[in-house]
Amino acid sequence: MDFESLSADLRSLQARALEEISAAVDPGALDALQIQYLGKKGDLTAVLRGIGALPADDRPRVGAIANEVGEAVKGALATRGTELRSQVQTIRLAAEKVDVTLPGRPVARGALHPIPETIEAIAEVFGQFGFVIHEGPEVEDDLTNFQMLNIAPDHPARDLWDTLYVDIPGYLLRTHTSPGQIRVMQSTRPPIRALLPGRCFRYEAVDASHGSEFFQVEGLMVDEGTSMADLKGLLDEFAHALFGPRKTRFRPGYYPFTEPSVAFDVECVVCGGVGCPACSKSGWMTILGAGMVHPVVLQYGGIDPERYQGFAFGMGVERIANLRHAVPDLRYYLENDLRFLEQFR
Amino acid sequence: MRVPLSWLREYVDVQQTSEQLAERLTLLGMEVKGIEAWGADWRSVVVGELLTVEKHPNADRLHLTTVNVGSGEPLHIVCGAHNIAPGQRVPVALPGAVLPGERRIERTEKMGIASEGMLCSGDELHITSDAEGILILPPGTPLGRQLSDLYGDVVLDVDVKPNRGDALCLIGLAREVAAATGATVRWPEIKVEETGGPVGDRLTVEVRDGVLCTRFVGRWISGAKICPSPDTVQMRLQAAGMRPVSNVVDASNYVMLELGKPTHTFDGSAVHEGTIIVRRAVAGERLETLDHVWRDLTPETLIIADPQGPIGIAGVMGGAESEITDATTEIAIESAIFDPVSIRRTGHRFALRSEASLRFEKGQEFRLARIGADRVAQLTLAWAGGSCARGVVDTAPNEPVSPRLAFRPSRVSKLLGAPIDTAEQRDLLKRVGIETEAAPTGSRIRVAAAPKPLEIDPGSEEVVMAVVPTWRRDLEVEADVVEEVARVRGYETTPSHLPDTLMPAYRPSPLKVRNSIRETLAGAGLTEVVTHALVSPENDARLQWPGDGGLAIASPAAGGVIAVTNPLSSQHSVLRQHVVPSLLGVLALNERQGREDVAVFEVGKGYGRVGDAPQEWTRLAFVLSGDAQPAAWNRPARPYDLDDAKGIVEMICRRLHTPPPSYRPDTRGFPFHPGRALTAEATADAESVSGRVAELHPDALEMWELRAQRVIVAELAIRGLDEATVPRIHVEPIARFPVVERDLAVIVDESRTAAEVEAAIRSHGGALLRGHRLFDLYRGAPLATDEKSLAYRLVFGADDRTLAEAEIDAAVAAVRSGLEIDLGAHIRS
Repeated sequence: MDFESLSADLRSLQARALEEISAAVDPGALDALQIQYLGKKGDLTAVLRGIGALPADDRPRVGAIANEVGEAVKGALATRGTELRSQVQTIRLAAEKVDVTLPGRPVARGALHPIPETIEAIAEVFGQFGFVIHEGPEVEDDLTNFQMLNIAPDHPARDLWDTLYVDIPGYLLRTHTSPGQIRVMQSTRPPIRALLPGRCFRYEAVDASHGSEFFQVEGLMVDEGTSMADLKGLLDEFAHALFGPRKTRFRPGYYPFTEPSVAFDVECVVCGGVGCPACSKSGWMTILGAGMVHPVVLQYGGIDPERYQGFAFGMGVERIANLRHAVPDLRYYLENDLRFLEQFR
Repeated sequence: MRVPLSWLREYVDVQQTSEQLAERLTLLGMEVKGIEAWGADWRSVVVGELLTVEKHPNADRLHLTTVNVGSGEPLHIVCGAHNIAPGQRVPVALPGAVLPGERRIERTEKMGIASEGMLCSGDELHITSDAEGILILPPGTPLGRQLSDLYGDVVLDVDVKPNRGDALCLIGLAREVAAATGATVRWPEIKVEETGGPVGDRLTVEVRDGVLCTRFVGRWISGAKICPSPDTVQMRLQAAGMRPVSNVVDASNYVMLELGKPTHTFDGSAVHEGTIIVRRAVAGERLETLDHVWRDLTPETLIIADPQGPIGIAGVMGGAESEITDATTEIAIESAIFDPVSIRRTGHRFALRSEASLRFEKGQEFRLARIGADRVAQLTLAWAGGSCARGVVDTAPNEPVSPRLAFRPSRVSKLLGAPIDTAEQRDLLKRVGIETEAAPTGSRIRVAAAPKPLEIDPGSEEVVMAVVPTWRRDLEVEADVVEEVARVRGYETTPSHLPDTLMPAYRPSPLKVRNSIRETLAGAGLTEVVTHALVSPENDARLQWPGDGGLAIASPAAGGVIAVTNPLSSQHSVLRQHVVPSLLGVLALNERQGREDVAVFEVGKGYGRVGDAPQEWTRLAFVLSGDAQPAAWNRPARPYDLDDAKGIVEMICRRLHTPPPSYRPDTRGFPFHPGRALTAEATADAESVSGRVAELHPDALEMWELRAQRVIVAELAIRGLDEATVPRIHVEPIARFPVVERDLAVIVDESRTAAEVEAAIRSHGGALLRGHRLFDLYRGAPLATDEKSLAYRLVFGADDRTLAEAEIDAAVAAVRSGLEIDLGAHIRS
């Protein structure tokens, strides 16, 4: 065995190996080729076994060639291995293709009822201005529901509240959230900023725009110097928050428990103020009633009307929800047809 | 109140368009709810002149007429009325015309003769009450003109608030118009020609209850002739919403609308001995009122009587026997002031609320008693003739002076939040007839009136005295003057700014826990509902939902049912005690709409009474029916079962940071499935959850006529629903040393519950047991038929070291032997 033939064997081994590597079609074949050429009992080792027969001077030269061949084969194995893995991955991914336009797996989601949601929206706005939530009883006594609100028995203004009475003497189903004003004043000291949401009841036949059960949110603010201008400022913010930038106006209203009393109008949310059937062609929609707390009411609340003054407002939750969501019929709210409710999901 | 503009213009000039006027009145507090074009429903009704009137050849009742309508050929019209004659001007509905009530007039044939339209009666046009005769128009009425151009009007619908009884009339609203526009109010000239003998010869009035009747003014007219009022009067009354009756009754109604003074006219011949007695009724007395209903009178009722008995209920309704009829010639006029509360109560007692009683209830200006009597007499003489007796009977002729009300101009500015100087305030008040004058020294300010009167010394503050007009009974305290200043100045001038005063103390929101639970449940697929608190009495009773017995609840459902004493319907006549029945109603409704998968919840109240003390409590209730997971293309359907409900309860407990709930079987049976009902309870420092979870008994489903095979229900008391709770989260340090898991299959008798197994695991697990979780439940071979296998994964660990095998083995062995001893369990590892 001489140097020439040995190096030629090595070269031909390299050529053969590279050819077989490039022809391999799966990673398993590459593993076999690695063993065949580079393993302990592999072809390269076999060739190098003849190195002992060479003159000492030639041995390093053959060694260098053998290293070259080994590196080349190793490199080819690695490159081909990467190629093959990438091919396999590509094939797998191609096979895993799905129609991404199919709908997803449904995740259940219920709807929240528009009444509590509207209360929450109202509370959120006034909460930013420091109004805290209080609640009062729905089975209320006549004194708090009427008399302490400056509505004497037999006062003609009682006609404004058709009342449902219960079989407990002196009690009724509260006709408005306003008795909460008295309860808040009796239990806390000024400065008062309170919001009172809740269910109310009236003796009223149910139709598209009336209900015997409905919800109101009452507001009360009492402090030294709280004025009608403060009321206007807050209600403007409220109207803008719920109905976007639109004109608002104060006009005189009437409640026995406020003096002066106010009706608060916003530009019609349907026609924008030009006049339409929804606003009786006036261009305005009344969204709540308000006023400066009557001195008699402050006194019943245990508050000195000379030192303190304040305002109260009250709004119908359904009315606000109707305007926000264009609900056509008041009966929808307590009927609970899922075709209505699920629109609020 | 309906206000025909043409009528209003008699008392005040109106330069504005009706829309402008409506807005001005609204901004002044007299809200105009609607503007009606009166006569807009007369379409193609024109003025015609009768040229000929002849008998119809084929029908005695009918006439053939020819009518000139101004242009074109005269029309041939068949008419059934008998009050027509050539030369008269009449309303003619042309072919194609539309009359009130959408009545269409076409060319027709009547008994063989063509009729090219119709001559109209006042009733057909809804402008007078005469349905018999054709409406005869004044001779000069322009031919061919549309009737709506001539008699059309604009009617404002004004919402007069209950405190402004003085504005429930044309004069009152004219005052408001004057305040808004600066115009001047013109009173009608009220003058009575007294040509008869002294009134005292005809009429005596005796007021026996001077509290309930503070003034009675009477007049007497003889020789009147009862007939319909002039057409123009009838038209006015119609436009104002009042049906014309006869000239004398109309005069009384006209004065009520004009001046706001209700009066009554009696047939004088039915007033025995010409003596009117105002007194309370005596028990047992009866009266047939104008509506021909016999009324049992009570001693609370103020009546008008003659010496023989009652002839009217004061201020509410007259008696039938003394009613003005066609035969009446003698007329007694009553114009009185009655106690508002008495009238209101009487009206309620007899369920009789008339236009008159509504005005009495709001209080009457004292002066109007005399003015009203004179005005009714004047109009009666003008429309019914006769002669008026000389003088009036007046039980309280001395009229009171205008009350004075002191106010502080500075207070006005302070309440309104806008500086308004004193001179401007005085000017503004003058526009609504409130004169002002200097306040005498020592004047006190009335801040509040009865029932909580408060008068204070204004100290050094400027005080002005307001002279309250006699008609303004609503101005009682200083704040009332503030409102007058504000409304005349215009509420729209109120400045707008955010409060810059102190903020209130922090208060946890009672809505917080509610909202957190609501959002959690919506995220779990349940839809929120809000149902009636008023239900039918059968609603709760039918379901027999158990009370809170055996549950630890902060606000237990307590006491008897509260019933409404004046319910609108039996369906809504008691306050509910439980929420689940309402939700079953929601389920039934949606099933009827074809919905099978219904998962709804409500955070709602229950109500009860303990003695005479009402109680309210809040509950979370939910109902699950149909599929928890409806089938989808990538998932099979799965129906709701009891485990879903428990999962929801467990999620709520996690959300509220309580320990997991403990479950106890409830085997009562109806309304529950006897083998699928339980109580769930969990308590933490701040929060507690307790209630019942069950599958309903099939009989209950049948009662609600439900189609669903299975309905799962729950009703839970949660402390945070009734009071604001603030749960705290105490963090456990993250374990520094690894934990080890061991699985244990516990084979027990069927009668053993999971709760028992878990209790035993916990009690024998020792300090190293960190947790356990059921991951499998198996029945069947090789187990005996009355056995089951519960497979638990136990987690062991320690804070200070990695556990050695031996330690873990010992802990597992303790659990094993504990289970074997306590429950007779077999263990397979």
